[in-house]
Amino acid sequence: MNLKDIIKITLNLIVIYIVGGLLLAGVYAVTSPIIFVKNKEEKEIALKKMISDAQSIAKPENGDWDIEFNKKPKHVEYFVAKKDNQVIGYVVETYGKGYSSFINILVALDKDLKILGINILEHGETPGLGDEIDKPGFKGQFISKDLDHLVLVKGDANGKIAAITGATISSRAVTKGVRAGVEMITKRLSGESSGVNNEQH
Amino acid sequence: MSNTKTNWQLIREGILTDNTIFRMAISLCPAIAVTSSLRNGFLMGSAVLFVQVMVNITVSALRHVIHPKIRIPIFMLIISAWVTVTDMGMAAFAREAYREMGLYIQLIVAFASILAKAELFASKNKVVPSLFEGVGMGLGFMVALVIISFFRELLGRGTIWGYELIAAKPLLIMILPAGGFLTTGLLMGFFNWVDMHFFGGKGAGGASGH
Repeated sequence: MNLKDIIKITLNLIVIYIVGGLLLAGVYAVTSPIIFVKNKEEKEIALKKMISDAQSIAKPENGDWDIEFNKKPKHVEYFVAKKDNQVIGYVVETYGKGYSSFINILVALDKDLKILGINILEHGETPGLGDEIDKPGFKGQFISKDLDHLVLVKGDANGKIAAITGATISSRAVTKGVRAGVEMITKRLSGESSGVNNEQH
Repeated sequence: MSNTKTNWQLIREGILTDNTIFRMAISLCPAIAVTSSLRNGFLMGSAVLFVQVMVNITVSALRHVIHPKIRIPIFMLIISAWVTVTDMGMAAFAREAYREMGLYIQLIVAFASILAKAELFASKNKVVPSLFEGVGMGLGFMVALVIISFFRELLGRGTIWGYELIAAKPLLIMILPAGGFLTTGLLMGFFNWVDMHFFGGKGAGGASGH
């Protein structure tokens, strides 16, 4: 390889990198504000759906918390829903570790911390089996459940949460996630510093 | 290898005789990963079509200035730049689709078919034939994905493009990875059979000219 080759290769790389970089910078400048706004809008719409008569749903000052999976914390948030400046409920974001993905869940609670409903924002569970967690039949079971009944059982529900046949791991992940969320907000709001029992009963 | 084919021939070959999936059997990974629904298959096909055409044009336009010793790294750079453009564009303008297949879009960088076309055709031919060759290959890829995902969605979910056609799920395995292999293999066999019986071809493998 002679000097001419070396210079040509160097110039090749420099020019291609600069042009490529400029192209990407240009596209980024155009798309990133759109992506940012749309992400925010989608989150607001998802929150608004949880408590439909709320006028505003916003994160309080201490609205950040961590949920632990295998010693690795995952950051989540909770939100306060207000109507006429009165707190009418809360929306808690939480995760469950499913069969093949982290399941991102929103839990809506009224001001007495009774569950109004849950919604699955994102998951990558097996199509046809695990993705049944996103069906109203499963999600509906969580309405009005308290901590004593937020327990997954196989077969007859008996006032608790019935697992989806063939998708026990996904069902358990959602139940545990919702449970962790409810426990967290109960703890936060009562101002307790002592730990709440996190074990499954 | 200088090109002697017409633009129309280039497109036809990309779709039929040199079809990436069914004849050359490359880039099978995305053919199986994203084809669990017709919509995803179609969108992935469109993304690949766009990337392939842009890469072919860029490589062909730069073919005299790229030093042969570093052509592959430069092709890769060009491919990844266009894939990133597609990725950001979809994240901004096709949100629904991006949420489901954002992960796979970035994988287009590693598709064998795109680098192969850049190296075998675009780096040796003028811009216009390269463009048509890219369109042909991209359309062929898209058609293959659409056919595969049509059968997988219909049999696995009982729907087409999300609309319910059959109330039940006739064959759940079809939307699982195993179903992707089965569908792709059976279709490949079917097209070989058609080729051999009606057009006197030799089937995949021996048929591709370059």
